[in-house]
Amino acid sequence: MPSAKPPPRWHFLFTPRWLGWHAFAVAAVLGMLWLGDWQFHRAEAGNALSWAYTFEWPIFAIFAVVFWAKTILDEFKPTTAAGSGAPPVELPAGASGPHTRGQDVTGGADDEDDPELAAYNAYLARLNEQVKGHGRWHGLR
Amino acid sequence: MRAAVLRYRVMAYVTGVVLMILCFVGIPLQVFAHNDAVVNYVGTTHGILYLIYLVTAYLLARRLRLAIGPTVLLLLAGTIPILTFVVERWMTRTYINPALQAAAEAAAAPAAAPAQPQSS
Repeated sequence: MPSAKPPPRWHFLFTPRWLGWHAFAVAAVLGMLWLGDWQFHRAEAGNALSWAYTFEWPIFAIFAVVFWAKTILDEFKPTTAAGSGAPPVELPAGASGPHTRGQDVTGGADDEDDPELAAYNAYLARLNEQVKGHGRWHGLR
Repeated sequence: MRAAVLRYRVMAYVTGVVLMILCFVGIPLQVFAHNDAVVNYVGTTHGILYLIYLVTAYLLARRLRLAIGPTVLLLLAGTIPILTFVVERWMTRTYINPALQAAAEAAAAPAAAPAQPQSS
């Protein structure tokens, strides 16, 4: 994916807001691992119920790591169809917009001469926006 | 989108109800009647249900492209009694309904569009 050299695309990860979230994620993961360790000691001491929690806490920690990685990777993905007269797709209030604009998925500037084609491209962009990721598991992008 | 909303909603209600049983039935029994049975079984069940809730809630959050703050609140809602239901109402009002409405409008708007495009 082409990107302008200055400023780097990952720069937003070091804003105070994001640094705060990174700290939160790290603290949450460490806390979960610590709780898992605590339950493990309780389980070894004879509390049979703690065996369930001994395995649950590490799973929560893995979830946290996976969710966090996915959240960051999603920030890099182009989420709007820019250009060609496609109207910006309305996001619900509070939804995070893209930090970066990606490639123009609706085609190049030469499409702008043809209003019918431009309208169709706008329509495709809207459809793409609606069905994005629909019913599919993409794995960890 | 609707499927993601439905999955989230089912898990929110199931997790919320189980957590309320745990907190308002199980823990009083444990503390006052020294009966651990409810806490043991319901507690473990809630742990497993919460794992599923996390997945459904996170997938919904990504679909709605929520900011991180609301996402974290949504995920933690499954651990605090009653908050699960409050957050579900708030999510529906603030994010889910507008998103579903926008999708419906977008689907209705390009009626004049040319051929039916292939699904990608």
